[in-house]
Order: sequence, then C-alpha cells, then structure tokens
Amino acid sequence: MTASAITRPGERDRLIVKLSQVDWTFCLVLCLIAGAGGLMMFSIAGSSFEPWAINHLTRFGLCFAMMIVLAMFSPRVWFAVAYPVYAVALLLLVAVEIVGDVSMGAQRWLDLGFIRFQPSEIMKIGIVLALARFYHGASAQTARWSWKLLIPATLIGLPTLLVAHQPDLGTAMLIALTGAAIMVLAGLSWKVVFALCGGAMAAIPPFVMFVLHDYQRQRVTTFLNPESDPSGSGYHIMQSMIALGSGGLLGKGYGLGSQSQLNFLPEKHTDFIFATLAEEFGFAGCVTILLLYAAVIFMALRIAALAYSHFARLAAAGVTATFTLYVLINGAMVMGLAPVVGVPMPLLSYGGTVMLTVMSGFGLVQSTRVHRYNEVTSGKGALF
Amino acid sequence: MSEPSIFFSDVNERQGLFHRREILLGGLAALGLTALGGRLSYLQLVQTQRFQKLSVENQFDFRLAPPPRGLILDRNGVLLAGNRPNFRLLYARDKDLDAPAMLQTLADYVPLDEQRQKRLLTEINNTPRRVPVSVMEDMTWEQFSAINVRQPELPGVTADMGEVRVYPFGGAFAHVIGYVAKVNREDLTETGPNSDPILLHPGFRMGRQGIEKALDLQLRGKPGAAKVEVDANGREVRRDTQGDIPPTPGAEVQLTLDADIQNRALEMMGEESGAIVVMDCRNGDILCMVSAPSFDANRFVRGLTGPEYRALANYERRPLLDKAMTGTYPPGSTFKTMTALACLEAGIDPEERVNCPGGWFFGGRTFRCWGRHGSQNMHDAIKNSCDVYFYTMSVRIGPDPIAKVAKEFGFGQIFDIGIPGQKKGIVPSTAWKKEYFKGTENTRWWPGETPSYAIGQGALAVNGLQLAVMTSRLANGRKALNPRLIRSIGGKELPRGDAAPDLPFPKEHIDIVRGGMAAVANDTSGTAYRQSQLGLGEVKMAGKTGTAQARSYGSGPRKSTGLPWKMKDHNLFVAFAPYDAPRYALSVIVQHGGMGGATAGAPRAREVMRVALLKDPEVRERATRTPMPELTPEDGLEGAAPPEPQVAAAQTPRRPA
Repeated sequence: MTASAITRPGERDRLIVKLSQVDWTFCLVLCLIAGAGGLMMFSIAGSSFEPWAINHLTRFGLCFAMMIVLAMFSPRVWFAVAYPVYAVALLLLVAVEIVGDVSMGAQRWLDLGFIRFQPSEIMKIGIVLALARFYHGASAQTARWSWKLLIPATLIGLPTLLVAHQPDLGTAMLIALTGAAIMVLAGLSWKVVFALCGGAMAAIPPFVMFVLHDYQRQRVTTFLNPESDPSGSGYHIMQSMIALGSGGLLGKGYGLGSQSQLNFLPEKHTDFIFATLAEEFGFAGCVTILLLYAAVIFMALRIAALAYSHFARLAAAGVTATFTLYVLINGAMVMGLAPVVGVPMPLLSYGGTVMLTVMSGFGLVQSTRVHRYNEVTSGKGALF
Repeated sequence: MSEPSIFFSDVNERQGLFHRREILLGGLAALGLTALGGRLSYLQLVQTQRFQKLSVENQFDFRLAPPPRGLILDRNGVLLAGNRPNFRLLYARDKDLDAPAMLQTLADYVPLDEQRQKRLLTEINNTPRRVPVSVMEDMTWEQFSAINVRQPELPGVTADMGEVRVYPFGGAFAHVIGYVAKVNREDLTETGPNSDPILLHPGFRMGRQGIEKALDLQLRGKPGAAKVEVDANGREVRRDTQGDIPPTPGAEVQLTLDADIQNRALEMMGEESGAIVVMDCRNGDILCMVSAPSFDANRFVRGLTGPEYRALANYERRPLLDKAMTGTYPPGSTFKTMTALACLEAGIDPEERVNCPGGWFFGGRTFRCWGRHGSQNMHDAIKNSCDVYFYTMSVRIGPDPIAKVAKEFGFGQIFDIGIPGQKKGIVPSTAWKKEYFKGTENTRWWPGETPSYAIGQGALAVNGLQLAVMTSRLANGRKALNPRLIRSIGGKELPRGDAAPDLPFPKEHIDIVRGGMAAVANDTSGTAYRQSQLGLGEVKMAGKTGTAQARSYGSGPRKSTGLPWKMKDHNLFVAFAPYDAPRYALSVIVQHGGMGGATAGAPRAREVMRVALLKDPEVRERATRTPMPELTPEDGLEGAAPPEPQVAAAQTPRRPA
C-alpha cells in the first residue's frame, strides 16, 4: 500500500486497513508474556496443561481476539460510552456492597447467575474513560488548577472508597493512582502534585494505625520485617524471596523449582507466578520478562503520544499507567519491597478478570493507534 | 459561557503539556522497572547462596532411620535374640485428613474391629500431626502389597517394612535376655541417656528386662537418616537415597550361655518351678541359667493383652520371677559342704565320729535327723547327709566361722554379671543378727539357732546363681571364681571369671568335702547314687542333695508325697563333673519338689550335666557309654520330658552367616 492510497477519503475506514494499522509488534510482545505465563503454569502443574495452563492460554486467545475487535471501534465510540461505563461500574460497586459474595473475607464478587465477576475490574477501565472524557472537554487552565477539578476528584474518590471498603486495598490504590496519573498527565499544577504527595505521605502512618483491618496491618508490619515471623504472616514474602534468590543467575531449570513445585511458594500460579519464573529461569529469565513489560509500556506510551485527540491520548496513557502500576506493585510485592496485596502480574498470572481488564484496555490503546488521526470532538466536549 | 472553551492555542498547550508530562511519567516507570531489576540482581546475584541454602532446607528433610538392634548370641554363635522383617501399616494424621473414615477404609484391608479402631483413634489424636502411628504390625505379604498398591488413594497411610525383635527360643532365655517392649510416656519424659529422638519412631521398642535392658544403649545402635524431599505440608515427595546417612547397627552381644544346655535344662524342668544354673568351673562362664516355668518373650514384644498379663502374673508358680537370681531359698543340706569346711577350718578332725541315733537333744528340744545313721565321720556325714553330725559339730564352732566360709564361697553377695535383678540373700551370723534385729529384744544369737544353720535352714537364704558359684569354687578348688554371663559386647571381650583371687582354704580341706560329694553320687549308699550315674564310664559326677523345709515338720511324717504343691519341700541339688578333673558345676532348685535332693534335683542335674559333658570334645573322648541304672517311678521326675539320648547333637538354629 502506498502512502497516497492511505490518504484517499474513506480508505482508513476499511477493515483491512484498520487491521494493518494495529501494532502487531506490540501484540507479539503480549503473546510472549502470556505464553511465558502458560509455560510456568505447565511447569508447576507437573508438566500438565491441566488445570491452569490450558485455561490461561485459551482465555488469552479469546481476550486477544476481543482486543483486536475493540481496536476496530473508533475512539468516538469509546468517548460516547465513557460516562455510561463509569456509571454502570459505580452502580455495580454499590451493588457488591449490598449483595456481593463474600470470598476470602472480602466482598469483591458479584454473582449474576451465569457469571461471577469483580466490578472493581470494570472500574479500572471506567475511571480511565471517564477522566479522559472529562479532560477532553476541559481547558489547560482548568486542568492545571480550578474548582472544576472537584469533578475528577469525585470520579476517583467514589470508586476508591467503595473498593477500599470491600476491602480490596490493592485495587483501590490502583484506581486512585491511575486517576492521579491521568490528572498529572492532563496538566495538574506541580505545586498541587507535590502538596498532595506530601499530604499522602503524612497520612500513611495514621492510616495504617487506625483505618486498616488487622490482617492488613499485619501485612504491613510483616513487610517491614519479614524475617521476624517466617512461618506466620511473613511466610509468603520470605518464601517468595527464597524462590527468587535461590534461582540465581540462570535458575534451577524448567520444572525443577523446588519452592514452587513443592508448594512452599504461596499462590504460585497467580500473584506469585513471577517468583515461580524467577526460581526456574533465574535472573536472566526475570530480566527478559521485565524487558518485555518495559517494551509494552513504552510502545503504549508512544501510541498515546501520537494520538490526535486529547481523549484518546489520555485514555491510552491511563490504561498504560494502570498496567505499569500492576507490574510495579506486583514486582515489588514478590521481591519483598511492598506488603502483600492482591495485585497480580498482568498477563503472566492466572486469573480471568484481570486478563479481561488489561486486554480491554489494550483494545483501547490499539484503537487509539488505529484511529490516531481521528478527532473525537463533535464540538460539545465539555460536561458543563 | 456556552461557547466551548477550546481554542487552537489551548489545544496546543494541552498537547504540549501532555507530552512533557508523559515523558516524565515514562521516566518514572523506567525508574520503577530499573529498581525492580536492581532488587532482582541483589536477591538473585548477590544473595544467591543464602537463599539457595534456605531453599534446600525447605526442600529436604532428614527422617530418622532406626538402626537394626544388636544381635544376642550364645557362646557358639547361636542366635538368641535377632530381628525379623515386619510389615507395618502406619497412619499419620494431618489437618485435612479424616482419621476415623480412613480407619474404616483400612478395615477392608486388615482386620480392625470397632474396639481397636477406637483405641487407635485416641492414640492418633494424642500424637503430634504428621507423626505416624502404627495401625497394624505383622501384616501378611498380601495385605502389605494390597495397601501399597492403593497407597495414592489412602492419604496419610504408609506401609513399610520395619524390623521387630524375635527370640527364636521363646521362653528358654526369657529371664536372662529379657525382652523389648513399646516405649511409654515415662521413657520419653525421662532425661539422661534415654531421651533419644529415636524413641519417638513408630514401633520402636526398648529393652525392658535382663540383657535387653542392661545393654539397651549398646544394643540400640545409632539411628541413621533418610534424606527425603518434602512438600510444604511436610509430606514425603521423593527419597534421595544418595543423601542417606546409614544407621549404625547396635553392638552384637555374645553371652557365655550355651543354647543346647539351656534348652535341655528348661525342658527338664517340665512343669516344675525352679532354676538350673550351670557354670564352667575352670573360668566362671555361666553356661546355663534357666528359671522355670518361663514365658514367651515374643509376646511382650508384640504387647501383652490384659488377660494374658494377668494369667502370667497370677499363676502360683510365678513365671515372671527369675528364680535363678531373684528368688532366694534356704539351701538345705547342700549347705553342709560349707559347714563341713568351716569345721575343718576350726580344727575339727574329720575322722572324729558322731553317733546318729536319728535325733539329737539340745537346749530342751529334739533336733531330728532324716535317718538313723549310726557312727559317722565327716565323709560319711556328707555322703549320708547326716543332720546329727552337723548339729553336733556346728554347736562346737558357732555360727560365725560358718558365715565366714559361706561368704568366701559367694553367698550373701551380688555378682557383677551385667544384668539387674539379683537378690543377695541372707548369710546369718552374730553380727548379722545384731544388725537385722536392731531395736528389738531379739539381737542375741541363740545357740539353738546354730544347728538349723548348719544344715542350711533358718534365716539362711541363697539364690541359684550363688549355689552354682559355691559349687564351681569347690570344684575348682583353688580360685574364687566369679561368674561371667556376658562374653563380649561389640567384639570386645569382658574379663574372664578366673581372674580372681585364690580361695583362702587349704586344698586338703576342700578335698575332704569333695570326697564326700563324690560319695553322695558314686557310693552305692550315697543319698543320690542311682540318680547321679551319668552313664559315661569313668566320667563321674560329684554332688550334694538338699531339702529345704517349706513348712514345719512338727512330729509328723517328713515325706512330701500327697501334700499340696505349696506345702512340699524345696528340692535342691548341686553337682560338678567330671569328679577327677572338674569342668562343669551346677545347681538345681526345684521349688516344692518334695523331700530329698535326689528325687527331683539330681535326675535333672544329671541330664543337664550330660549335655554339658557330651558337648565337650575332651570329655567325650574319655567317656564310654555305660548303661544308666533304671530309674524307678518313685525317683520322681513327674512332668519332665523323657531324656533324650542324642542331646549333644540337638539341632539349634544357627545364626545366618
């Protein structure tokens, strides 16, 4: 296809052209990460696709297809559904609060009879869309500092509080930080940013002391000194660090990780799958995976930077922020740098809802790339 | 303002702002990822060794492997206590396992009735998690393999092959060797050398009696360790046989006992209650030490049921009591050898004659003799076991010289033979009486007590081992031999019994006593002539009969025939052979065996002695088989097995090479 061909009117709307505009290198990297996850699940199941690897890979396949389909939708569509999606997610969070399933001592799941899912996952996309939608219609001046910022603050605050109350501190933090990242990207005044950071820092000790549940406080204190109680609550962190450390430079070999194979490692196929990988493939394997994640993040940021519409670039960047936070928080947790919070390693860990969220987000990112020359505004962008 | 507040300049400003901020946040992301990389390199490259060590500690566990218990052999290497394979069924409780349901399931494979299941359940619940409890021992091969095949469906269950103690001769050595039995709570709380982690091993048994108890630590050996790979729940995943530390087997213990003699001795005791001790009177080795009736030590290894134990404990012939060492009895006339020696030491002429009219009047009462012997010198008095002679002479010398001789010959003494349970007995003397009755009126030795003492009655109490030691010292004639039961422990030989000082008596005196004993067995008028003929030609036995009253005779008949068992006299016999060059000495005690050592003691002594002599090649060379005089029915031996002519060649299981 020549450059002139793509400039023909209507040419960009043809499906085949749209497909060619998808960032296939990006897709390949996603496949590599998910494949690595499947590989590890095959190993810890004792060289068996059952029960995890087969599900993981099937889900990834379905989610991948969904991502491509989502990428075909114009950001205009995303723009239109932004507030409704947010509203539905918020309602579901309230519904969970009232009738949610209690699992592992927390209300996170909503059972609709045919499917059980976590509304907080939809909210991760919803918050990105809603904030992007808001900032699309806001001036630089508004974004910097004005009373109108109460709107994004409320948009972030409500779901954060609801999710934190479930209690799912990890996801609440993720939502809050994603929202904060979008506010910063949209141009929040540095003075305010620093003031908020300072305030947050100051608020942490009283928050830990008075607001957290006992088990959460335990996790935090344990994190500060994991070896104080290696068989109790420090167990997870300690075993994870042992798995990582004992992997050494090249690892113990595929299928030979004693920590994961013999169940010393908790949640070996979900939250701690990175430790499983680290044990069997060592530093080399870990760095490879981290480089793949870095590639995903920087490709996505580049896609955001090249978008014409403010909505699309903010949305794509917001999704990337969520993804980055996942990677950093899970990595820090597995390596003993953060308390144990239920944040999985995206695409690598077993788990359907997170995969769905992340891949929907990447559908938005790819849509941004495919439609990077399109503007979304109809002229009435502002909420007010 | 209804006008949209978006102007071109503003669009550009927003875009520029976004780009700058995005680069910054991208930088932050890069920083975060780099931090993770840094942490990874610290954990995986710098701290590798520390974490690898921790990982190995997680992965591998060392499980105790019990050592095979040391074997116990007789002097010829015949196995007296060994180990046999034992297929065991073990169950270890764990948090997500249902023990009652599992026992129900197991009942399909092995017999487990309701009551046993209930008992096991309490035991399982009292045991820490993941510590196996023995559900069933001695499974058949079929049961064992059935369980093994289905093991994956039976969580918590293991079927393994352990070892269990076995005593091939059952009862013959039960009192000497003792037995092993399950470890109980007291053993575990006990501090000191016994608090060994191996005690917690399922099915481990420790020595409870005799040699098994005395040498428990030596026999036990050192446990090894099996290196196993475990999962986070402590369940065994794999064995790493290369990492095993092999257990050190327990030390092998060789006894001085001879299985053939011991077995024959127990056989000869039949239903009777008593003891037979045989010693080598050249070096003090105990060749036989048997107590009858006995019990099957193997039952104790398995664990006795209540009724079984009560049956043993309540039987009037007391099988659990070691009559060779723990039971003490008046020696009766066998003690006249000591009295005679004491008289000689006191300067009494052995040719001096005393008339025996069948009784002797002293201190206002008549001391009766068992016969009417007429004029007796010392030789005749021993041969005929004449009481009147010894009554007369003992009053002349008093009790203390007798006590002195008795002590020199080992009475009133505990010998260091390596096993517990010996009773000292009593050797009366004026000093003993003063000490024993201290605080009462009766501390004076009455002259009327001496005549009873002289014929081995009264307070005098001895055990079978002491009688055997006395006889072998007499037979040896020179050395104050010490008995030796344990020949070697782990190949290290223990000091022999002839490493002992000489007896402080002139040989001529001892020879007079031995002459009397020879006459007892070989003079046609000796008290045990017929019963003491070995039938080995010139190889002859010398002995001394003894009867110890179990009741007061009063003026009634002395014969025990027809009396209830408990009322009959104890029947004793001591002997050594060959008379001219003594090699073996023995003592026989038959509790309530009836009057006269010849009836119950001597025939048994003769049979046992024949086995000992015929096993000795040098004696065999000398011996010519001459027919033994027929025993008449009244010579006793009720209940004893008939003599076996080819005892020497008796088949005994040999220890596997």
